[in-house]
Amino acid sequence: MFAVTTLVAVSFSIGSFRIGDAEKPFLYSVLLWIILVFSALSGLSRSFVKEEEAGTIDVLKLSARPQAVFLGKLFFNLTLLGALELIIVPLFILLMNYKIASPGLFAAMIISGGFGLGAGTTIVAAMIAQASARGALFSVLSFPLLLPLMITAIKGCERATDGMNTAGWPEVRIAVAYTIIMIIMSLFLFPLIWEE
Amino acid sequence: MYSLKVSKICKHYAGTLLFKDISFELRPGEVLAITGWNGSGKSTLLRIIAGLVRPSLGKVEMFMEDEPIPKESRRKFLGMVAPALALYDELTALENMEFFCKVRGIAYDRENSLKIMERVGLTENATKTCRKYSSGMKQRLKLVQALLHNPPLLLLDEPGCNLDSNGMKIVEDIILEHRQLGMTVIASNEKREVAYADRAINLSE
Repeated sequence: MFAVTTLVAVSFSIGSFRIGDAEKPFLYSVLLWIILVFSALSGLSRSFVKEEEAGTIDVLKLSARPQAVFLGKLFFNLTLLGALELIIVPLFILLMNYKIASPGLFAAMIISGGFGLGAGTTIVAAMIAQASARGALFSVLSFPLLLPLMITAIKGCERATDGMNTAGWPEVRIAVAYTIIMIIMSLFLFPLIWEE
Repeated sequence: MYSLKVSKICKHYAGTLLFKDISFELRPGEVLAITGWNGSGKSTLLRIIAGLVRPSLGKVEMFMEDEPIPKESRRKFLGMVAPALALYDELTALENMEFFCKVRGIAYDRENSLKIMERVGLTENATKTCRKYSSGMKQRLKLVQALLHNPPLLLLDEPGCNLDSNGMKIVEDIILEHRQLGMTVIASNEKREVAYADRAINLSE
């Protein structure tokens, strides 16, 4: 709901006619990723907090391997993010009259960026689950972790929009590498967070 | 054969000493009671044994045929019931059992789950979501969850909590039956529950 509200607000406020053609690739990419990242931050932080609040976290700790719990939560967050992207991206393209020169690169960037976003937010969600000021802490911890991914994803979408220098899809590669590194690091780090 | 060794456990909480130098050994067939006033640390000691809380000092070891079981594998060998341990309210009792079987990596057998539920008097409510359960029914379901994988170590924190006399009888039967299989640690002040223990540790002393 947050994502749709933001998207509608953006499209009504600065709709396609107010932005010059030269600025469109960059500004549209920035706006799209701002909507995606902030929607993800508002929803994905709940994955471990919900277990903590429901009191099910201890029984989960006693039953499952930490890595299995992490991968389960990651899969859930990626599914949620996938559903969010499936709704938001087509709506954004439609409402903003977003013309994409290289749809393949654009789709790959959205998917790989989404995977990176899911991996980054899942481990931060685990870190903040037992803290008191969860909302603020989630934003503070996510910011440095997600910033490189956001810059990469914006650049990749900008490239896909204007269709210039698309060979090799370097931003997609960076996002895929970011996701792999984040998942491997999280699998090592998560058991330490999972214990008291 | 399994055994449990607790050595010189000490726990500080928020700068206050909760308990210190708690040591005991437990062998199959033994039942230990941990007693003490509210806030004396009974539940914390049980959580330390389960590996949910780190002790400030000391260590907990579990052995299988005198070989130490790594801490990260200990969860496979213990079942725990505690007021703070909640099950998934949005799932039915059977779905909860299926979930816990799957995350524990054991095959889910609906018939076996129904048999265990019959033992605690929950068969008729097995397909109801746990949200609709009374606190006593939830406590019975927690007992099922703890026994699902036949653990050699059973940790019972206030096992009679919210239970009526029928429920208390079930807990007693479980303690007696588990005596044949493994070790039991009960944290409680209820005389009826403590009566089944071979020995007791009073944390208030």
